[in-house]
Amino acid sequence: MKKLLISVMGRDQPGILAAVSTVIYQRQGNIENLSQTLLQSVFGALLIITVPDTEAPDDLHKALLEACSKLQLTVHVNPAFPESSAPGALIQPYIVSVMGPDRQGLVSTISSRLAQHDVNITNMQAVFKGGDKALDNLMIFEVDVPKHTVMQKLREDLKAISDSLSLDISVQHRKIFESVSKIRN
Amino acid sequence: MLSEKDIISTLAMVREENLDLRTITVGINLTDCVSDNLDVFKGKILDKITRTAANLVPVCDRIGRRYGIDVANKRISVSPIAVVGAPFNAGQLVEVALTLDQAAAELGIDFIGGFSALVEKGLSKGDAALIEAIPQALAQSQRVCASVNVATTRAGINMDAIMLMGKAIKSAAELTKAQDGLAAAKLVVFANIPQDIPFMAGAYLGIGEPDAVVSVGVSGPGVVKNALEQAFADDGEHIDLSRVSEIIKQTAARLTRAGELVAREVATLLELPFGVVDLSLAPTPNANDSVGEIFQSVGLPAIGAPGSTLFLALLNDAVKKGGAFASSHVGGLSGAFIPVCEDLNIANAVTSGSLVLEKLEAMTSVCSVGLDMVALPGDTTAEMLAAIIADEMAIGVINKKTTAARLIPVPGKKAGDTVYFGGLLGEGPVMAVKHGAEENRFIRLGGRVPAPIQSLVN
Repeated sequence: MKKLLISVMGRDQPGILAAVSTVIYQRQGNIENLSQTLLQSVFGALLIITVPDTEAPDDLHKALLEACSKLQLTVHVNPAFPESSAPGALIQPYIVSVMGPDRQGLVSTISSRLAQHDVNITNMQAVFKGGDKALDNLMIFEVDVPKHTVMQKLREDLKAISDSLSLDISVQHRKIFESVSKIRN
Repeated sequence: MLSEKDIISTLAMVREENLDLRTITVGINLTDCVSDNLDVFKGKILDKITRTAANLVPVCDRIGRRYGIDVANKRISVSPIAVVGAPFNAGQLVEVALTLDQAAAELGIDFIGGFSALVEKGLSKGDAALIEAIPQALAQSQRVCASVNVATTRAGINMDAIMLMGKAIKSAAELTKAQDGLAAAKLVVFANIPQDIPFMAGAYLGIGEPDAVVSVGVSGPGVVKNALEQAFADDGEHIDLSRVSEIIKQTAARLTRAGELVAREVATLLELPFGVVDLSLAPTPNANDSVGEIFQSVGLPAIGAPGSTLFLALLNDAVKKGGAFASSHVGGLSGAFIPVCEDLNIANAVTSGSLVLEKLEAMTSVCSVGLDMVALPGDTTAEMLAAIIADEMAIGVINKKTTAARLIPVPGKKAGDTVYFGGLLGEGPVMAVKHGAEENRFIRLGGRVPAPIQSLVN
């Protein structure tokens, strides 16, 4: 058996997952993991599947395109990346919240600075309702900070951004959000 | 994964609603420091306190930064000095208080509690010396807090001790006349004192506690007020008191979780055991950090208006329930405080005449502490102070709850005048006491009030 990575994207409508999974099933494949999301009216999904060694990625791609032809989807099939062996204990999950009005280049500025510190963004949400309330104009980055990142330096760098762009940026450990919001932890 | 709503509500709690870790308090047992040589004793307690809590301030600051929650105060509570300093006379115990003050200054903390005695059934030699030392100890030190437990539901009420406390309060206030009697604001008289209070001025480390222990006092009246105001704004027509109680309970649980998380990390880094979370709505003289404002958010014209006692009962109970659900180790006072001078809204209710001493006393029968930070006219006699304390103790003893009195007879001031203590102790009006300047022969009878019957509950 071998692992393949499938990505599917297109306008959201009933039947996308049905079409994709049926092709995989018919070709003796097995879905190991699937994540789908909706952004406004766009559907996107990533699937990690295992297929018999005899299966050629190109053939599977063709079969998927054929099955999805009416749905007008973009489909890619690639060999799956080997699983990362990085032990979870060496990262600390933080939440970086950025309060202040939306402006061009904001995500780029923040995410580039996070990348410089080897900080990995695992999820990002943005809320821009307008108005003056700080929490109505907010970007939330859920991030993993590796052990070698110097938190003090990261905080200083983000502080420099917040000072120059009149934003309010806070970096807080994710545990505080979890302990306050979840009954089980 | 966390939802956007969860993240925003947590951010709001921390940023805008004054969720704060009011205090992380390290309790330190001093029984192994005992000596009948004053210099040896002083040296040992200074060493043990500064050694055990050496990293308290830096660790709290570091953990506070990690979670984005300020640890507003770092404090120490110690074994009752009347017990560990029993061989000494009053003058020597004042020196011990100054040693505690020095330890607190060296650690960079604002208060150290435990200049305390437990005298509900009688006074030992050490207890009597400590009570005698209290006025000078509090007047000469900056950071030392004193507490004396004069009554319990199991032992009854020690009226002789209450009379001594009336005199001690009067004398402490006189000695700090220039600061509106500030020393009396650092002195609390208790019934049923808990052994593990992290909040000042009543903190001491009970005899049944470990050698050293980390406890946390969480506060956040602003968070509760905002949760209620938000609920009324969203769905005001469908809110009844069941719902109000539920909202307070859930909010209290969230606050407790945040406090416990931070305190446990601090305890781990200090290599000390974790004690309790004390979730108390403890106001400060800042806007959006007031217990009085919560009363107005549910529609009462002001704290003290009819309906206030019922709402306080509901509030105190819901806070306790939320805390008890969120943490297995809830302790201390856990509930709602109604300190007059520390809460601008309550102080204003007194000034406007909504809240009088008699109503405040009634409300203390359902709050978590008692008559707290109550400034009284300077001509209130020691006997009348003792009588006010005695009434407050009776409420606690009969209702099997903690009650306390922190009374400040402000020298030279009369009812309606404003007093100013500064900092967390705040400011406020002097409350009128009926018959305050008179003698009180009843209190002079002294003796012990027997412990109440535990059956025939009506």
